[in-house]
Amino acid sequence: MTHELDPLIHVPTRLKIVATLAALPDGDTLSFTRLQDMLGLTPGNLIIQLRKLEEAGYLSSEKTRNGSAQKTTVALTRQGRKALDAYTQALRDLLGGL
Amino acid sequence: MNHTPDTSSAAGNGGDFDPRQAAALLDRTTQQTRRHIEPAQPWLLAIRAVMVMAVLGTVWLSVRGQHPYKGPTSSVLPFVFVFVVVNFLATVTVRKRATAGVSGRSRLRPAEIAVLALAWVAVFPLIGAMARAGVSGAIVYSLFPLTVPLIVAGLTWAGIEAARADWRPCGTGTGIAIVGAVGLFAGPAGAWAVVGVGLFIVLLGSAAAIVWRQRRSVVRP
Repeated sequence: MTHELDPLIHVPTRLKIVATLAALPDGDTLSFTRLQDMLGLTPGNLIIQLRKLEEAGYLSSEKTRNGSAQKTTVALTRQGRKALDAYTQALRDLLGGL
Repeated sequence: MNHTPDTSSAAGNGGDFDPRQAAALLDRTTQQTRRHIEPAQPWLLAIRAVMVMAVLGTVWLSVRGQHPYKGPTSSVLPFVFVFVVVNFLATVTVRKRATAGVSGRSRLRPAEIAVLALAWVAVFPLIGAMARAGVSGAIVYSLFPLTVPLIVAGLTWAGIEAARADWRPCGTGTGIAIVGAVGLFAGPAGAWAVVGVGLFIVLLGSAAAIVWRQRRSVVRP
């Protein structure tokens, strides 16, 4: 049994991002603006955190252009879901042992 | 909108982020997200349940003493019409707000919406054909238009949601079809009461299932 908490997820802002995206039905994506609105983060902070998670392969983003407007959507990857599952299990183990 | 302070630098390595705090934050965020993105809001389902029972109950009160059955009186029909319009507008508005920015597999595809609409509409030519074949007016113009669309559309909806492995709306669709089927055997007057009470139960059950799912803990299953 391991109690190690993934350091990439174990940060309040990133945990909120990953938890929000994991609550979406499998195969769904969320627009950057809705995610920002739901989390109450500044755009700059959100971009930094999303980039870190994307570099780790935990989420994917896609930019689409509709006329002059550009829309960015993000989703948790399978690897990201597995990482959150492992993180949640580690939390359970830790809390069970307290 | 509440802006969360930038915690990236302060807790960059999660050093002073207690596991208990993390568990609480994980649960709270998951539950909030489930509430925000749910297209079928439980409060709207509960209001709809009460309204549908009130409207259909009013119709039932107006027809239960009719011998022979003549159908709902013209003074009741505006309530039914207003309910249908208000219900439609509220559903579209709430659904649009909840699913703003969400795209992907959980959204109904145009083909699925077309199948649902077709299933609903296809019933009426069939009922028209029965009227031409000489079936009683009380059945053709009151009982069937109330119950048969519920059976056909409910089963179609249940089928679509079963194909998506989304069992809560699949159960709601099946429940609606069962209400329609039971109403079919209650007679032209009794069907209004059966459908009213049946839909009340199905809608409240669906709302309760959504609330239970939304409040379920991620960390403590």
